[in-house]
Amino acid sequence: MTQPRTYRAVGLTLRKSPVGEADIISSLYTREHGKLDVLARGARRLTSKLMGHFEPLTLVRLSIARGRTLDTVAEAEVVNAFPDVKSDYASVARGLHVAELVDGFSASSSSNPLVLDLALQTLRVIGSQPAVGDGELSSDLPLRYFDLRILNLSGFMPELFQCVECGAELEPELHRYAAGAGGALCSDCIPDDVAVRPLSLDALKVLRLLHRTGSVDQLPNLNMPATVHAEVSALCTETVQYWLDRQLRSQAFIDATKFA
Amino acid sequence: MTSDPTPGTTRSLGQLIDRLHQLPGIGPKSAQRIAYHIAHIPDDEARALADAIVAVKDMILFCDECRNLTDASPCAICANPQRNRDQICVVEESRDLVALERTRVYRGMYHVLHGALSPLNGIGPEDIHLPQLFARLQNQDNPLQELIVATNPTLEGDATADFIHRRLADTGIRITRLALGLPVGGSLEFADETTLSRAIAGRNALE
Repeated sequence: MTQPRTYRAVGLTLRKSPVGEADIISSLYTREHGKLDVLARGARRLTSKLMGHFEPLTLVRLSIARGRTLDTVAEAEVVNAFPDVKSDYASVARGLHVAELVDGFSASSSSNPLVLDLALQTLRVIGSQPAVGDGELSSDLPLRYFDLRILNLSGFMPELFQCVECGAELEPELHRYAAGAGGALCSDCIPDDVAVRPLSLDALKVLRLLHRTGSVDQLPNLNMPATVHAEVSALCTETVQYWLDRQLRSQAFIDATKFA
Repeated sequence: MTSDPTPGTTRSLGQLIDRLHQLPGIGPKSAQRIAYHIAHIPDDEARALADAIVAVKDMILFCDECRNLTDASPCAICANPQRNRDQICVVEESRDLVALERTRVYRGMYHVLHGALSPLNGIGPEDIHLPQLFARLQNQDNPLQELIVATNPTLEGDATADFIHRRLADTGIRITRLALGLPVGGSLEFADETTLSRAIAGRNALE
């Protein structure tokens, strides 16, 4: 049976690349078809009916025509442009962290609606936060929740309750953590050939709390010391970078502009 | 660079096609078409093209004041005493400056950033000419009346505008953004919700 020439999809735009004189290739994560690259012809022209629909972090409903190499957008409608996320550069950087991880952890044409729901929920929470003042670290907590949830949905959730080497239940004391070994380690185990870092009890408790929280909008208002926050951020970033096998560009930007 | 030329072409033609293909907006077919065209044009035309490319690389430098591309610093705009030094318009690229100059409406000064903040591409404030803008504002002889932020209405351009606004909020400089909304010749029916909501927010009284 031949496939229909057009199909519909609802997806979050992750990034866009200009091609040709006025075209855009947009990368989206869609509920129906997973990650898709589509060609939006003429979308950079001021008078194009597609203009403005493919800015990153926009939820769009599309009608798409199948093509030989790239599918082409026939119609587009913005469902949610997340204007609150785009209202200040710090929120933009956090939103793009979400987009970068969805892009990095998803394979082409493999759909997991839970990933899209998680990304949309996280963007709503980022948008609902007040504009970030310099050094206001607590607003990064939804991103750390997002990091752990997308690791979980992708099958890379770090172990936080037992030693990944010997399987012993972790006692309430100073532990160690190795992203390459798969999570927390007891004080007796030293795996070979992986980078190991100290893991404070407070940081372990925060990670477990994030793991147990059902949804990003149910995150408690944690009043934790900046050192614990920095440790949790470093652990999550290290784990994500280990599995993606590259540096996170958006996180480097968030760090660089935090105290700018 | 490919070491083996495509069957039917020569090594030199293959190299030219590869080089042309690296230029923005030039696909493999266009690169091939341009390369074969260059192979057929007279020698003096080909050399004039090569000389023009080399001259651009040899002569072009950044204007010390506005960071625009120029062959002498200060550039013609910065050196012009008729320009209004109380206004600076911040643009992403030199070609945006050219577009604004074509309007013949703006008579102030410029500052060219040569990019915009882009978290996904790892471009931070230090990677574009933002530090030079802040230093320029600090060293102004007369206090600036207005800074017009004319970055593109994209995610990156808006983030850059917000960053500039926050950094200069305490300086007392009036910071404005180009009006955002419907393009001339556009159609309301097809406008996206962000453009429409900005057009409503920025509506003007009919006078």
